[in-house]
Formats: sequence, structure tokens, C-alpha cells
Amino acid sequence: MTLTIQSIEENQIVTLVLQGDVDTKTAPELLEVLTNLKLKEISHLKIELTAVNFMSSAGLRALIFAKQKMGHESIVSVVNANEEIKDVIIKTGLSTAVSFINN
Amino acid sequence: MKTVERIDQRSTEIINGYKVRPGKPLPFGASLIQNGINFSIYSSAGTSCTLVLFEKSQDLPLVEIPIPENYKIGDVYSLIVFDINSEEIEYGYRIDGPNNPTAGHRFNKAEILMDPYARLISGRDEWGKKPNWERPYPYRAGVPFDDFDWQEDRPLEIDPADLIIYELHVRGFTKSESSGVTHPGTYAGLVEKIPYLKQLGVNAVELMPIFEFDEFENSRIHPNTNEQLYNYWGYSTLGFFAPKAAFASTGKFGMQVDEFKQLVKSLHAAGIEVILDVVFNHTAEGNENGPTLSFKGLDNKTYYMLTPEGYYFNFSGTGNTLNCNNPVVRSLVLDCLRYWAAEYHIDGFRFDLASILGRDPWGAPLSNPPLLETLAFDPILSSCKLIAEAWDAGGLYQVGTFPAFGRWGEWNGKYRDCARKFLKGDQGQTGEMAQRVQGSPDLYKQSGRSPATSVNFITCHDGFTLSDLVSFNEKHNEANGEGNNDGNNDNLSWNCGAEGWSDNPNILKLRQKQMMNAMALLLTSRGIPMIVMGDEVGRSQHGNNNAYCLDSSISWLDWRLFDSNQILHDFTKALIHFRLKHPALRVNSFENKHTYSIDLPGCSFHGTNPWNPNWDENSKQLAWMMTSEPETINKEADVVYVAANMAHYASWYELPEAPKSYQWMLNFNTGDSNCQHLIYGCKLEQKGLLVGERSITIITASKINL
Repeated sequence: MTLTIQSIEENQIVTLVLQGDVDTKTAPELLEVLTNLKLKEISHLKIELTAVNFMSSAGLRALIFAKQKMGHESIVSVVNANEEIKDVIIKTGLSTAVSFINN
Repeated sequence: MKTVERIDQRSTEIINGYKVRPGKPLPFGASLIQNGINFSIYSSAGTSCTLVLFEKSQDLPLVEIPIPENYKIGDVYSLIVFDINSEEIEYGYRIDGPNNPTAGHRFNKAEILMDPYARLISGRDEWGKKPNWERPYPYRAGVPFDDFDWQEDRPLEIDPADLIIYELHVRGFTKSESSGVTHPGTYAGLVEKIPYLKQLGVNAVELMPIFEFDEFENSRIHPNTNEQLYNYWGYSTLGFFAPKAAFASTGKFGMQVDEFKQLVKSLHAAGIEVILDVVFNHTAEGNENGPTLSFKGLDNKTYYMLTPEGYYFNFSGTGNTLNCNNPVVRSLVLDCLRYWAAEYHIDGFRFDLASILGRDPWGAPLSNPPLLETLAFDPILSSCKLIAEAWDAGGLYQVGTFPAFGRWGEWNGKYRDCARKFLKGDQGQTGEMAQRVQGSPDLYKQSGRSPATSVNFITCHDGFTLSDLVSFNEKHNEANGEGNNDGNNDNLSWNCGAEGWSDNPNILKLRQKQMMNAMALLLTSRGIPMIVMGDEVGRSQHGNNNAYCLDSSISWLDWRLFDSNQILHDFTKALIHFRLKHPALRVNSFENKHTYSIDLPGCSFHGTNPWNPNWDENSKQLAWMMTSEPETINKEADVVYVAANMAHYASWYELPEAPKSYQWMLNFNTGDSNCQHLIYGCKLEQKGLLVGERSITIITASKINL
């Protein structure tokens, strides 16, 4: 399955709208998009997951990568993550770096 | 500021299409570096080494990279492979060399071998999911990230004397549907039950093996019932550095490292330490008929104790014996424990069949085993609890004599045996019981050790549960499919009048009382008490004293017992909190200092008459009084008096005189079937009290409010 990523920038807030599955094959694409952002200058990174069914550890690691590159006060959120993705984030302790938003 | 680009992060040559350069021999294993992975593996007798890389979930290798001879320093092959994605890669090795078992060598380059330092192992990612038996290289090494966010967490370093250990099996604790957790049988499931452990009052969990093992090892079908039997307990390690994937709800995503760390962090946040039950005495490779998975093919002669003919010594009772006092193996054990202490914030280790760790490469016990000394004085492990199961299957029994180097604690098997005999009213036990409740000075005082050396227990995972201890005279291990021949025959148990299930109210009442007596004895003894999962609610294994292969309701904790045995639960919980409140029970010295503020000795023994214990063969009445000075100037001195009557008749115990301006308060009485625990205590006006048959009372002294 392919992954499409649409990036919306507004002030210091960046929203990445993902569509498809983030697995070991597609996670590098997400990582590449994140690498190309000026992460240090972003105050809030939103990862919109409404159209994502599955996110592998590689995908979740990409979010941690982003968080580590961003400023201390900055926020990484996943928006509309399904229960399974949320569950994995909580059970593995990654929720300390990533917050949840449900629209 | 400009930084110079590091040239050691560039390849020097290309082998089979992959950019590589000579690696760093240390650390062993696979380590993430910028742009690549450093691989390092030891083999002293191997003649060549090939790194085998797999794409995740592919049966056949992605590439095989022979490690050039000039990449070898000493006996260590190391190389860096660039531009590979650690998350998509699994790896193993082929080692060539002599195949001459008589000389101790079993090299076979047809086998792909797992790295002994593998920190992530895939292949058994979901518990009980039937593996593809034909798959080459079934257990695969992977490379985890070390980026878990621990925030403020660190090991708790609770004073050993204050510990109350709860031994549990990660899967068995929440696998039952009755647990009500979202992810039954996993680390995450255990996290959901932390509030339960916290309210119970225990401050350490001892996890039965969580190093990766194969539940299908020696798996078989029960000959009569057709039930699938597993290696449920897990005392058979595949990899010493990897948490069991199938205990993680996220194991199928390869995220067991994070989930286990989250468990440790959550337990710490609740004030509960994590002790791991570690199995260094043997591996999952069995004897000469067992599979070659890792050590056997890497350097058989180094890793295993071998007979002069090249067969495997079997001091573990499971086929092979790890050669722990070989310096290379010693380093592996040390590296492993350091890794768990530093990377996982583990608070302590309990060593299965630890006496093996003190044998030389030919099996003889050493007087100063270098491995035990190394662990005792290691700077990274200096705050870790080190607890030995101080015996092995080769007949070495070292309770009281385990080489401790001032650091090692012991599972006190003598406490278990004596307490069991005393509880069922055996003759001639009061003398030894007096030693046991003090923390076993007869075993530990002379060598300068303290009461907290002794991990006191009456039951553990191995043997009867507490409920079965008072319900069965004989083991009933038929469910294990070995014709009831496995498991210990000498259980020192008493069924209270009927073997197994009974509806006789008198028998049931007596059993409950005996369980309470056991808890009362355990939790008023000096040393570290250990309770096994479910004993606080009377968990039964239907008389099975060796449920190692049963992944079923026999082994799992049935949480409905919390309703049916609430009285026992509440009693145990109250006792645990009582222990935490009373420092006199946790004094960690054999000096028996006088408590001058109340003019009483720190520990004294009594019989039915105060200051006059009866050590006769027929005596079944023993009382002990433990005291300690006030912890702060405004506090009271602490006095706990315990009267145990294990005779089948009630006895009048005359009490010692209460300290001046103090009065005796009754707190627990297992003989009162209506009220075993008096929440606010009950003032004792008379000078003595009647202790019912097979009963224990616990009394404290409180200052009289003037």
C-alpha cells in the first residue's frame, strides 16, 4: 500500500496529512518529509491520521525523531489516530513525546 | 561552529554489494552508528565468519557478507555495514571450524547462528502462534533503538530490609479473562494491574523469566487430554539480552523493548521495584541431541561445561550447563546484567540455580567464584539486589554458605521447610523456627551477613501454592503428562483432613486459618518476605506442584478469587501494611541491641510463660517479641509480640509485662474466625490471652493516652 503525505504550513504549525499505511516500506517516506521540514522552527507538528489504518514501529520512531529535533517547548500531536495506533503509542511509553487530538 | 565530518563513518570497501569497513570489537553485538550498524562477534576456535542479513519476515537471506580475515582482532570478528535500515534488518552468523565433538567443537557453517548479544529477537512474536518448523534460522537477532524516554525514572534503591517481594509470571498474572485487562498476558496487561499491587502494599515484583525463550521448546500434546503443553515458565533462555516478545502486546510490531521499559517505568512510579528471575545456568540448546542455535556453533567449548569426552555436564537438570567461570562467559553475564540495570532500570536479579555460577569449568565448587565476586563489586550493579537460589540440580546446596562477598542475598529454602513443618505442627520445630523468624542468624550471622540476606518464603512458583499446601498431602501432576513422576515428592504439606477438594466446612475453615497462619509467620519474620502471585487469594493449581508446562487456568491467576476469598486477601493486605508500619519487624542486624527507651531486648522468645520459651521436642507453642527504638523523638518505640500456637488445642499465653506507660493491643488473631484482623486494635486488659488451636495472634504495645 502506498502512502501519500500532504504538508500544510501555517505560522509555526505544520500539519502532515497522511493517507495509506505507514509500514516499514513507507515509513522512510515519512522520515524524509520530516527531515526536510525546518523542525527547530516549528512549535506544533500535527500528524493527521484519519486515513491511516496501520503505523509500524518505524513510523512511530519517525515521530520521535521529529520530536527530538524540535525545540523543548514544541508539541507533536497525532490527530484522529485509530484505537490500535493510540494503544501502541500508550503501551510503549511513546505518549510522553506525542499527544493525541481527536477532531 | 563547523564540525569536521567523521571519516570513520565511511566505507572502505564493498562486499557483495554492501559498503563496509572494519568494525569496532567492542561492544559485542550489533550497535547502531551513524549511517550503519557495527557488528561484533566472538569465536576462539572458528576459522571464518560470515554475517548473514535478512530482510524482516523473509525466509531466505538478503545477503551474506564474509568478514575478511583482516577484520578480526584477537578472537573477535567485527565490521560495519553502511546504509542498511536497522528496522528492516535481521541478522545472524555462519561460523566455519572443526566439527569434532570429542574435542569440544561443533562448528557447522550450514547453520545460521543467533548473536548471544542480540537485544531484540523475533520468531516467537505472538504467544502460542504455531511456528513454521521448516523456517531456516528460526530465532532472529534484531537491533532495537535505545531512545526510550525515561523522564525522571531511575532504579528505586529501596532498602533491602524494607522489601516485600511479590513473585509473578507476566503472562499468568493477567491472562485469565477474569483479569479484565485490555491486553491479557502481557507487559501492558501487568501495567493495568499496578494499582492492585500498590493497594496490596508490596514494593517489589519478581518476574519469572522474561528473557526471550521459546514456549514451543519441548512442547508436546498431553497423551490423555490432547492438551497442548508448552514451556510456560520459561526457564530456558534463548537470548540473555532480549525481552520476551510474546509477553508484549506490541511484540508483533517488534516493540517489546519499549513496552517492557514502559512497564518498569510504571512500576517505579508506583514505588515498586522490578527484580528479574535470570537463568544463567543453562541455555535452550540442550545436550548433544539438542538444536544448534547460537553458543554451540559459535564456540561450544567456551560456553558449555563439557566432559573430557565432549558431552555436556548437566548440573542444571536441563541438558547443558553454561560455563560461567570461563572469563568470556563471565563477561557475557556481566555485560548482560549491566545492560538490564542501565538500559532497563532493573532493580535486582534473582539467579536461578545460582550455585552453578560458583562451579569451575569442570564442575567443582569454587571457594571464591570469580563471577560471583565480579557481580558483587561491579560499579553499575552496586545498588542492584543480587539474590541467589543457592542450590543446583547437581546436588550443591549452599543456603547459608553461598559465597556472598557481603552482597548476595539468598532464597532461604530452610525458612520454607521449617515454616512448613512448624505450621503443620511437626515435632521439634520451635528451636529452628526461632532462628528463622530472626532472619536466620544460624545461617548468616557468623559470616557477617544481615537478616535481609534471607529471602523468606513459604511458597514460590516452584512447588505447591499456599492453598494447595494446606489442601494436599501429595502432588497431583497428571496434567503435565509425565505420569505424575515430575515435581518434588517432599512437600511438607498437610491437607487438613481431606485430599483436595472438600465441602466440609471445618476443613475449609482450618485451611483458611492455616493460610493466614502462614502469612502471619512470613510477614512477622525479619528478612525479606516473598509472596507468590495469588497466594493472597488462595490460588490453587489443583495439587500440581510443577506447573511448568501448563499455559491454562491451572497456572493463571483467576481474579474472581478476589471475591470468593476476600477475607484472606484483606487479611494479607492488612499484614503487609502492618509490616510496613512496624520497623521492629525490619531491623536488619543480628546484634540484638537493647531497646533502652522501653527496656526490652531487640528480639526475645517466649513460651506460654513470658521469657520462658519451651524448646522441647513436643513444644508447639512459640512467641517472639521484636522491638526497636522510636524513629523520631515524637514517635513511640515499636513493639510487636507474636504468639504462635501450632498445637491442636488452645493454650493460655501469659504476656510479658508491657513497657512502662504502654499497653498491649491485639491486632491480629487467626483463631477468631469472625474477626482475624482488628482494624483499630483492641486493648488487652488481662495479663494474658487464650491463643486458639493452630492460631497466631499479633500484639503491639501502644502508649497509654494520659
